[in-house]
Amino acid sequence: MKDSFWFPIVFMLIMVIFFAGILAVMYRTSESKIQDYQIDTYQRTVLKTLAAKISEASGQSRAEILANYPMSYERYVQELFLDGFERRVFQAIVAGEVVAYCFEIKGNGLWGTMQALVSTSTDFRTILVFDIVDQKETPGLGARIQEEWFLQQFYNRLFVSNPESPTDVTQNYEFIAETQSPETDQQLRRITGATITSDSVLKMLKHELNYIYNNMRTKEL
Amino acid sequence: MTKKEIFLTAAFKENSIWRQILGICSALAVTNLMLNSLIMGLGVIFTLAMANLTISLIRNWTPRSIRMMVQTLIIASYVIIVDIFLKANLPEISKQLGPYVGLIITNCILMGRAEAFASQNPPLDSFVDGIGTGLGYALVLLLISFVRELFGFGSIFGFTVLGDWWINWNIMVMAPSAFFILALLIWIINTYYYKAKV
Repeated sequence: MKDSFWFPIVFMLIMVIFFAGILAVMYRTSESKIQDYQIDTYQRTVLKTLAAKISEASGQSRAEILANYPMSYERYVQELFLDGFERRVFQAIVAGEVVAYCFEIKGNGLWGTMQALVSTSTDFRTILVFDIVDQKETPGLGARIQEEWFLQQFYNRLFVSNPESPTDVTQNYEFIAETQSPETDQQLRRITGATITSDSVLKMLKHELNYIYNNMRTKEL
Repeated sequence: MTKKEIFLTAAFKENSIWRQILGICSALAVTNLMLNSLIMGLGVIFTLAMANLTISLIRNWTPRSIRMMVQTLIIASYVIIVDIFLKANLPEISKQLGPYVGLIITNCILMGRAEAFASQNPPLDSFVDGIGTGLGYALVLLLISFVRELFGFGSIFGFTVLGDWWINWNIMVMAPSAFFILALLIWIINTYYYKAKV
């Protein structure tokens, strides 16, 4: 029987149906848990990018704001839905006043699309906090863009220095080796062995900040 | 062979990493932290044991011409089960392990044991072989990560054991350090166990 023409085909078919069935049941039962975690992580990152400004305006410490998630998120953070603006936008509101904005941005890395959250000042010119939400870079090399020292280089940086330009409004930054110390404000340390990924992060920020500034400054919020 | 002999042979005497030099990629990649190594080790133990058991259970009905396809399907299914379980229940660790859980499928040890042992031996023996091989693999991962985490971060399983005076060795956090440690481990075991026996 095992040597017949049909047996291997039928056998393989039964195996595929059996294992695909098990995986489908397992995925269905875990789906909501996985989604809840993804939403939770995303909202925590939004709060993280806005926490410093909320802290300044409310007097509450940054650690306290982060520890009080999800209450602090519901209290201070609001998602905005803007016509013709193709990014997710969140605003931090303290005592009725907007203190900062947070944008979901995307860019091309070496191996796939990177997704990040960046908070800006209310004039959209300065990056407050920047965090990578999702990336597909090489573990141990490009994936190190999620390390704190690399991300913190972008904190509180003026990105829009030429507000009157109709095309490119962003300030010029350049990378130096990871082991060197920056000598000017325009120098940032790149990740060793991940030149393309480091450059991609800067390119993404430059492109997205340009888009955000040019689109948001004319909107009535 | 008795069950005990099968287990000891798979875990130590014919250890897949230090004796057969299999599964090296993941051994080098995930050993920067002990917790990552432990979870990876548990994932491989589960996948190996269950895949061996399943392959052995159906060995008498599996047509020879498609056996590799069947083995790959079974191994891949168990790896996806581990991946979904981690994503749903241990998401932080799943995130840290990143693509490596999925890459258990490509771990040579799994196909090696399926072809060399499970497809020719009874289910219980194959299950014990899977546990033993997985444990041997996890043991090596933990040994390497112990050295890397201790010197690279001054901690063990995330708990700081070397005080503020300790200066972390950056090389230990980077992948090349795993090469040196694994090479040293193989050298020590070869010298003091296999060669001494000869």
